[in-house]
Amino acid sequence: MAEQGKAINRRALGRALSRIADASVEEALAGLVEPPARSARRIGITGPPGAGKSTLISGLARRRLDRGRSLGIVAIDPTSPFSHGAILGDRIRMEEIGDDPRLFIRSLASRGAHDGLADNIPDILLTMDAHGFDEVVLETVGVGQAEYGVRLLVDTVVLVLIPESGDQIQAMKAGVLETADIYVVNKADLPGARKIAAELRGVLKIRRRLGATWEPPVILASAQDGEGVGALDEAVERHLEWLASTREPSELRRARARYHLQSLFARRIAEILESVPEILDGSSLAAGYRAALDHLGRRAETGNGRRETSF
Amino acid sequence: MSDTANKTLLRGKRILIAKPGLDGHDIGAKIIALALRDAGAEVIYTGLRKTPRYIARVAVDEDVDAVGLSMLSGSHRELVAETIEELRAADAADIPVFVGGTIPAEDHAYLRQLGVAGIFTSEMRLDDVVAELARALG
Repeated sequence: MAEQGKAINRRALGRALSRIADASVEEALAGLVEPPARSARRIGITGPPGAGKSTLISGLARRRLDRGRSLGIVAIDPTSPFSHGAILGDRIRMEEIGDDPRLFIRSLASRGAHDGLADNIPDILLTMDAHGFDEVVLETVGVGQAEYGVRLLVDTVVLVLIPESGDQIQAMKAGVLETADIYVVNKADLPGARKIAAELRGVLKIRRRLGATWEPPVILASAQDGEGVGALDEAVERHLEWLASTREPSELRRARARYHLQSLFARRIAEILESVPEILDGSSLAAGYRAALDHLGRRAETGNGRRETSF
Repeated sequence: MSDTANKTLLRGKRILIAKPGLDGHDIGAKIIALALRDAGAEVIYTGLRKTPRYIARVAVDEDVDAVGLSMLSGSHRELVAETIEELRAADAADIPVFVGGTIPAEDHAYLRQLGVAGIFTSEMRLDDVVAELARALG
């Protein structure tokens, strides 16, 4: 609670987020941010590229600010695999809220992360917690096959679809489609919106039969003219209240720790494969796997011996 | 767009491309943004018609390594001065400011005196802009 209501130290937070985003695995471990006693409520917005996530977030953010909350937005865009560069353009669609002093927007490139998020994203969210935001909105790159990270890292997952997403619904049935808490069919003025909404409700009915107690709403929205944004804001509020009354905190901590560890391992392996390319020249994949494991062990030992004080 | 030699020159750099003032043309800003991306930079673009205060705030929140102001309006003298002043007020005087667009030669000395780190005129080749920016940012 300590920092609640205090003005955001924008320069300090901006710099801290860069340090964390740039940290190697060793540096991230050395500078690990301990989960603060009070964490921001996290809202994840996911959905295919072009679904209108940024515009929807702009409208939602306005409503959250109007409820008297301070708000951080972390928006992720894809890194080019060719140049490693990125165009981070999400905030262009958020300009109508851009002047509010209780709002802080940070754009991140996905870099090495392949799950729609960004390197060191667990630590980035903990840093936002430490700066006392009431709520943090996380915008993902888009729905990937393996986008389960956002499910583990945030409290409320909002999946944004558009009428053109019909085929994607088929492809996503086993993924985030089944685990989102709130569904938005955006660009609802386009033909096919109601059909998509009906299909979604069909999928969700099966889920309800499996004994889930939260009934995920399906909201028709048109973020451009603000339709459905109020309903989304209400649904987020109801879901956060529902979570507060049902969720087991220790389970949540374990799930987040698992994702955090897994992402550190994935990045460490990527670092090893980049710095010791000979591993890939070995006689067999099995030999390469064992060589990589060997490096993993060695590096971990030296890492413990040489803890850095800061990063 | 740029040749392979340019591909990693700006890797790891975060650069804000901003359009202050009232002119409504951002094709130049977008071309520069893409060239910087192709050289490995992470580029944040503000969109059109932003105030110096807004630009400084985005530079701080995004913790960029450089701010590039794209100007065609003719009011670059005032807008550059204001942007540098707003950065100073936001405890971010250390973020270098570059200016690009239609900047008459007689204004260059004035802009440099304000603290502008580099001026890129519209005649420059994109590869040269990238190379000079990379040199300036180390």
